[in-house]
Amino acid sequence: MVDSIPTQQFFDMWKKGLEDSTQAWARLLSQSTAAPPDPTAFWRPAVEQWVQTWARMIAASPVSPDIATQWKQFLDQSIEAWSRALGQAMNTDGFAQLLGRYLDQWLVTTAPVKKAADQQIEAALQTLNMASRTQLTAVARQIVELEERVERVEDAVGAVSRKLDDVLRAVQKRPAGGAHEVASKER
Amino acid sequence: MGQERFADIVERFTNGYTDGVSASAESVRQWQEELDRTLRRFQNLGEMVSNPVEPRTGVTPREEVYRRNKSRLYRYQSSRTHRTPVLFVPNLGISRPYIFDLLPGGSFIEHMTREGFDFYLLDWGVFGPEDNGLTLEECVVKILPRMARKVLETSGTDGLSVLGYCMGAPLSASFVASHPEIPVQNFINMAGPIDFSRVGLFGLWLDKKYFNVDRFVDTLGAIPADMVKAGFKLLKPTMDLSTNINLWWNLWNDKYVEGFTALNKWANEYVAFPGEFFRQWVRDFYQDNKLYRGELRVGGRSVRLRSIACPTFVVGAKEDYIAPPDCVRALIDAVASRDKEYVELPGGHISLIAGRGASVHCWPKVSGWLGPRSS
Repeated sequence: MVDSIPTQQFFDMWKKGLEDSTQAWARLLSQSTAAPPDPTAFWRPAVEQWVQTWARMIAASPVSPDIATQWKQFLDQSIEAWSRALGQAMNTDGFAQLLGRYLDQWLVTTAPVKKAADQQIEAALQTLNMASRTQLTAVARQIVELEERVERVEDAVGAVSRKLDDVLRAVQKRPAGGAHEVASKER
Repeated sequence: MGQERFADIVERFTNGYTDGVSASAESVRQWQEELDRTLRRFQNLGEMVSNPVEPRTGVTPREEVYRRNKSRLYRYQSSRTHRTPVLFVPNLGISRPYIFDLLPGGSFIEHMTREGFDFYLLDWGVFGPEDNGLTLEECVVKILPRMARKVLETSGTDGLSVLGYCMGAPLSASFVASHPEIPVQNFINMAGPIDFSRVGLFGLWLDKKYFNVDRFVDTLGAIPADMVKAGFKLLKPTMDLSTNINLWWNLWNDKYVEGFTALNKWANEYVAFPGEFFRQWVRDFYQDNKLYRGELRVGGRSVRLRSIACPTFVVGAKEDYIAPPDCVRALIDAVASRDKEYVELPGGHISLIAGRGASVHCWPKVSGWLGPRSS
């Protein structure tokens, strides 16, 4: 009991110090309105000066700034020529046959691998007592079918409603004395 | 003597190097511009790599008015000064439809709504294995008529215009031709193949002599998105190379970078084909050309393009290698419409409807043709 008193005092002092310093930081941060330092501020004048200097240097040489545009045009024309050549090569029966054979071969290779992978995944999910893709797909299909049935019911209800409207309109259009005439005839 | 700046040292060195040789001010200015651009290119490249920004696409305000499984019908906000609503039918599968509403200021849908059209978009959706049984018949005989009826119902009008783009055009032409009870007042085909005997490379590669579609679908179930992407990339193998070179060339231009980022996102987002749809699409359209020959039957109904008698507008793209102009223009001779027109505009399959060129050449032509016929 006697020993705990200095410990408690020390703890209280530390706690007060922590609270005071936290408040001081919070005041400092909230009062600060200075913008964060711009890292490029130091380098920008040097870079701009460099660009101007290089521009003067290159302009004094026989090289023209059009060279970049000319190089781009050369690249565009080369790619266009290449594209035309490839297009002509691909627009042949030979290429179509080759592509067809490649796809067939790919299917022949892929089909058994895909089937085996699907079966294994299915078996693993079953073991883990989890829904498989097939089951989820089947559920999704059932939901789609349900949606279609609801739509068919909506359509039927809509059609009946329209027919009733037509009947009502027809009844309202009948002459007003029609019912009275019928009653007097009956008498 | 103060400390010399680093820049002053460079100045002294280079002045000595070029001593006695003068350069014209214009030449210096041009070189400075080129070097500035190169620095901007590196800066933008660094930002693209280290801080990629997700582009804001498909931002024109809209509401979902109907959904059927994966398909969605969206209605866009508009002043609706034109009475007749427009149902836009894009391609099923292949790619996402936000290409038509790519960026603010660069959107076909934004243009049409600004022109006062009551604009509806059919988004076919992203398909999964559960959709492998979706047939072409179902699209033409069930989905499209239902969407058209919903357009009429929600707009409160007694007629609509149908605008088909790419694969959406032959699908919607089949629907319009086989459903005379749906009051279609105008039909527009944008870059949609009709005569598949003139469809170019895809027609050759998918010929029944070389491509067994039944085996393909029976093995895979659906055509995966990666395969669809590979097929389209194979049409133009140098496209990626020229795209990247053009990107580097224009990388100093922030507006270009913004447009490129959005377009690049779309261009790499492919959608799988449902298996049964792909089977019918390849067999009946690419291999047998049944639509153009008048031999197509869907849901027990004959599809005769001659049945289309409403005003028809057909737009082809000069450099389109997916739906070449001849293949698209064939619709003009096949329909019985008296009021019909064909225009061939600059651009490719995508740039016909999306991009700066489209906003200048294509969109005003489409809205200009449709406007007077939509009162």
